[in-house]
Amino acid sequence: MKIAVRASRTMTRRTMLGTLGVIALAAASGTLTPPRRAGAQPLGLNESLDEAMTRVFGSRSIKDGGSLIKLDIPLIAENGAVVPVSVRVDSPMTPTSYVKHIYVVADKNRIPVVTRVTLTPAAGQAFMGANIRLGETGDVRAIVEQSDGTLWQVKREVKVTVGGCGG
Amino acid sequence: MADIGKVRIRIPSSIKPGEVVQVRTLVIHPMERIERDREGRIIPKTYNYINKVIVTYLGKTIVTFDTTQSVSENPFFSFAFKATDPGPLRVEFLDTTGGRYEGAVDITFA
Repeated sequence: MKIAVRASRTMTRRTMLGTLGVIALAAASGTLTPPRRAGAQPLGLNESLDEAMTRVFGSRSIKDGGSLIKLDIPLIAENGAVVPVSVRVDSPMTPTSYVKHIYVVADKNRIPVVTRVTLTPAAGQAFMGANIRLGETGDVRAIVEQSDGTLWQVKREVKVTVGGCGG
Repeated sequence: MADIGKVRIRIPSSIKPGEVVQVRTLVIHPMERIERDREGRIIPKTYNYINKVIVTYLGKTIVTFDTTQSVSENPFFSFAFKATDPGPLRVEFLDTTGGRYEGAVDITFA
């Protein structure tokens, strides 16, 4: 009888610990990966620019990072399917102050958030480059999030001769 | 495409210890575009594109890219890292169909 009681008590404690663990995990994943990524819902990223900005950055203010960020992208993209873009941020990369994320956002794309780069201090330099698709002429922005949460952005208009669609 | 998943990594020919190095990497991948019907609605299916790129150096993750269909076919990425010790630099690409493509180079000092 006694044994049975003890067993059931252990079970309760274990289940409770398990539940707590699940909650902790959910909370952690919720805060650590803000925008739910494509893997789970491949079509969920088809949204307007405003929706995308609200989803990713909420109501946080974004400062003008003209002096800090160097966005390198052609003024005229003949082929919208392959547009080389690179972003370099003039910022130290120390464990206390570094660039945490670089976002590339194409305003006119039907899937505006092109990529999010997550950096660590080990990168030594806040730099990223990629080939992206642009649907039509419009602004392309680079948004930088520093480790203290400050957001900076620069944007540049790109003229697209032949749209890369899809994106 | 037979070459799908082929990963190329380009590093400078000589690297000095402590130097910040820029690396270019490329994977052969179709990065399928979203298809739409006449009304512009998305045709629902699993589109095959890369949604994650993970770069590790000496076993530690240094840079990750979360990507969407707005990235070109045969995507090319570049990034920087600080070469502190000789060792492997690995780049891993994950796509939405569960594909995993990996490339690695050994960082050595001249």
